[in-house]
Amino acid sequence: MKSEDDPRSENGWSRREFGQILAGLGVATGTAFGGWGILELVRPKGRATSWRKSVCRFCGVGCGVRLGLNNGVITEVRGDEEAHNKGVICIKGAMLGALPSLIGRALKPKIRKAGKLVEATWEEAMSLVANRFSDSIREFGPDSVAFYGSGQLYSEETYTANKLFKAGIGTNNVDGNPRLCMASAAVGYVQTFGNDEPPGALEDIDHAHCFFIIGANPYECHPSIFERIMQRKRSHPNTVLICVDPRRTSTADRCDLHLPLKPGTDLLLLNAMMHVIVEDRLYDRDFIDEHVRFSDGEDTVDFQALESFLRDYTPEDISPRVGLSAEIVRRTAHLFARSKGTVSLWTMGINQRVQGVHLNNTINSLHLVTGQICRPGATPLSLTGQANACGGVRDTGGLAHLLPAGRVVANEKHRREVEELWGVPRGTISPTPGLDAVNLFRAMEDGRVRATLVMCTNPAQSLPAAGRYRKAMERCFLVVAEAFEDSETARFADVLLPAALWVEKEGVFGQTDRRYQLVEKVLDPPGEARSDLEILVDLAIRLRHGDLITARTPETVWDEWRKFSETSAYNFKGITYDRLQKNRGLQWPCPNESHPGTVRRYVGGDDPLVSSGKRIEFYGQPDRRAVVYLRRYQESPEQTDDEFPFILTTGRVLEQWHTATITGRIPELQMASGPARFEFNDQDAQRMDIQDGTRLEVRSRYGTVEGAAVVTGRPRKGTIFAAFYDTKLLLNIAVADNYDAVSKQPEYKITAVSVRKTGGQ
Amino acid sequence: MNWLLDLPTLVKVLGVTSCVFGIALCYRLIRVGRDSLSRDKMVNLRIASISALTFNKLLAFMAFIVVAGMSVSIANYHVFSGVKEVRSCNSCHVMRPMVNDMTDPSSETLAARHFSNKWISSQQCYTCHTDYGLAGTLKAKMDGYRHLARYTTGTYTEPIASPSVYNTDNCMQCHAGTRKFEMVSSHIALRKGLSDGSLSCLNCHGSAHPTRAQRTPGHPDYNDLMKQGD
Repeated sequence: MKSEDDPRSENGWSRREFGQILAGLGVATGTAFGGWGILELVRPKGRATSWRKSVCRFCGVGCGVRLGLNNGVITEVRGDEEAHNKGVICIKGAMLGALPSLIGRALKPKIRKAGKLVEATWEEAMSLVANRFSDSIREFGPDSVAFYGSGQLYSEETYTANKLFKAGIGTNNVDGNPRLCMASAAVGYVQTFGNDEPPGALEDIDHAHCFFIIGANPYECHPSIFERIMQRKRSHPNTVLICVDPRRTSTADRCDLHLPLKPGTDLLLLNAMMHVIVEDRLYDRDFIDEHVRFSDGEDTVDFQALESFLRDYTPEDISPRVGLSAEIVRRTAHLFARSKGTVSLWTMGINQRVQGVHLNNTINSLHLVTGQICRPGATPLSLTGQANACGGVRDTGGLAHLLPAGRVVANEKHRREVEELWGVPRGTISPTPGLDAVNLFRAMEDGRVRATLVMCTNPAQSLPAAGRYRKAMERCFLVVAEAFEDSETARFADVLLPAALWVEKEGVFGQTDRRYQLVEKVLDPPGEARSDLEILVDLAIRLRHGDLITARTPETVWDEWRKFSETSAYNFKGITYDRLQKNRGLQWPCPNESHPGTVRRYVGGDDPLVSSGKRIEFYGQPDRRAVVYLRRYQESPEQTDDEFPFILTTGRVLEQWHTATITGRIPELQMASGPARFEFNDQDAQRMDIQDGTRLEVRSRYGTVEGAAVVTGRPRKGTIFAAFYDTKLLLNIAVADNYDAVSKQPEYKITAVSVRKTGGQ
Repeated sequence: MNWLLDLPTLVKVLGVTSCVFGIALCYRLIRVGRDSLSRDKMVNLRIASISALTFNKLLAFMAFIVVAGMSVSIANYHVFSGVKEVRSCNSCHVMRPMVNDMTDPSSETLAARHFSNKWISSQQCYTCHTDYGLAGTLKAKMDGYRHLARYTTGTYTEPIASPSVYNTDNCMQCHAGTRKFEMVSSHIALRKGLSDGSLSCLNCHGSAHPTRAQRTPGHPDYNDLMKQGD
């Protein structure tokens, strides 16, 4: 029993001890929470103080990016994991933060005086432009002026230019660089399905069991797509990758099967694959009976006609012409047809060909005949070269033969519809299709076109037979709206207008799989640069077409365009700016604001335009059937001979984009890519005693270029590869001046050349 | 019969033994009476006789220095070796989406590909997040303490997100210097950005884990990602 003077409590602690324990606990708790509080205050925040979503401005994949900003400067760029690219971007996208501060930006308008570009005010420059255009139209008619645009302009900009020139000025001379890269794919889709743009989506990559990659090098040109393919392969190792390319590309290195065919013989291979599919009964009879029609290009034919047509394309017969064994052709056909899901991917190796449309038709046909379409992981899917060639140019009708939303100039009903929608008198739109890219520059050459507005593109470097068309540009009053003052095309400008770049303005990109994404304005343009839309609106007002171009901000133009689309199979009325600000892109058709967008077109339950109760419906064709064309192989006009014994084929490299106007100014990318060189097969190199660094003159029937060699062993024997980004090489000067008769897309991939050593290393 | 203990279990047994021994020593010291602190009273230890005071001083040294130090060391070792295991990460429910996704053979995330292809054979979380180990950075320790405080007090919201960027050094531990890495010219050109953290490997090689949207309650994938693991 405790005594009175013992201050201990019942548990044996004195008051003092109890106090000490409480104080100890208090100190411990305070230390713990205080430490936590301090750590919360000093927790790492990264370089950026705020983040904005955006879209990469390079290729047509349209990767979502997140931009970290601090004091109005982009400090970090990350792939946006919530966007369709699942956070994957490429080295070019990773360097997007450098764009606003690149050297050589055009900051003030310039006018050519006494052979030199000198600074001027916007008023002086635009007055001169408007006067020269007005004079030319008055004196030589509306077809003496032209607009040459770009798959890098925002949709609102191309839509406005198209409306100004076709419904205002009255000429269909509206074309652009998409003619150089995807015209054949567009025409191919229209001929097969009745509508442009792919039936499938990038999402199909996640479900495919076989990838048929032909005429494409996604490892370098569409890296985030190739990474997605490899993710599929790594998580599903039985997935088969097939690559068809005369060059053992970095893509081919990672494929299970590489078919290094002779350049220009793809249609022989595709028809031989079709032959195997028919001969071995690998086709889907039910799908054909329900959804397919056959055509020889003029008349509807039956399946027997296809069998008869294919007799000329046995693998054994085509083998020596294609340079592949019959066995590998048969194996490829079986892998393609028997896979649980095949996705075909192609780009310029197919499109930039004189038979580009026929090649596109036949790839689509392989999918239709085997039923490898309209289900997850089975689709033909053409890849796109530019950020907005699909949505911005093909959809808005920004090409010489097109009107918006799939309509064509040559169709009177279509012209009337567009005139009504644009509120202009009947007959305003000329019934004559305008000049396609190559013919536009030929018209400059012979003086038929006297004034041209070039926006956001670099034809002096990108056109085939560029030497010829550089001279043509000298004969034309050339207005160049460009972000950089020293691009190859700016050299030929009579007026140079400084343009805002990427996030210095606002607008919508429409990419590979019918996906519209909004690029919001994040920074102010440097100097006096203006958006291309502002330039077009200014020109419209000066040419007295202000009452036609009433929508003058990106959002009002978009609203006009999306309401316009409601009347067509391109219906995206439900894709508002508000939704695009909240979402990472939406895929059309999307007819109303509650529609989630369409992943797979022509599929009931997904595509709102498919008739109720139909599982699949190719509603673009009058009979609701997609067309399988019987397309005969024709040799390219470019053939080797004693004088020109090599085939030159062109392309891109991972770190540089197109003519490198932007990427060529980023030191990391320039260091990674180095200068463009002529890649040689080792046998050719040994025979000609060519080593790495050997200086060469490469001459074609169209021009001569000089550069260094590199012996990689990658191109097929007799083939030389070079990339076209390097301004010191200007490769396209030597590229052939042939084009597809239907799509008018030039054949960059096949040029017969001779090679001569010039001495030195 | 597997009678040998594996290292983690042995550490646990040693730790528990050490703690019990320490508690017993403390109890013994509490019971020490004033008479036991005499210099005159001797304690016979068979091999030698020492005074009770010296004996109790030795006991105190053992209890407060040796055994306590040993217990703390073993506990630390246990914690730092234990947290290297995937199941340790999975014990916090906010980490379940990462672990469930990583172990899902059909997932295409970077973590899942490393796991399913056995590119990392064990301690998969820790191998890519070595910052949290005993030899990790001070910053990681600070982050770890903050995460622990947030988690235990429930002062966090789902989905969790890191305000900073992933340390690319962790990728470099395995990839740098390999032929496959060095032969990619982009890697060489971007070496500075990769080493100072201004560029992320994940940019080109994909998200490591499920997206924030997937980890947000209400997302169609959320329930699957949160399911209780093994």
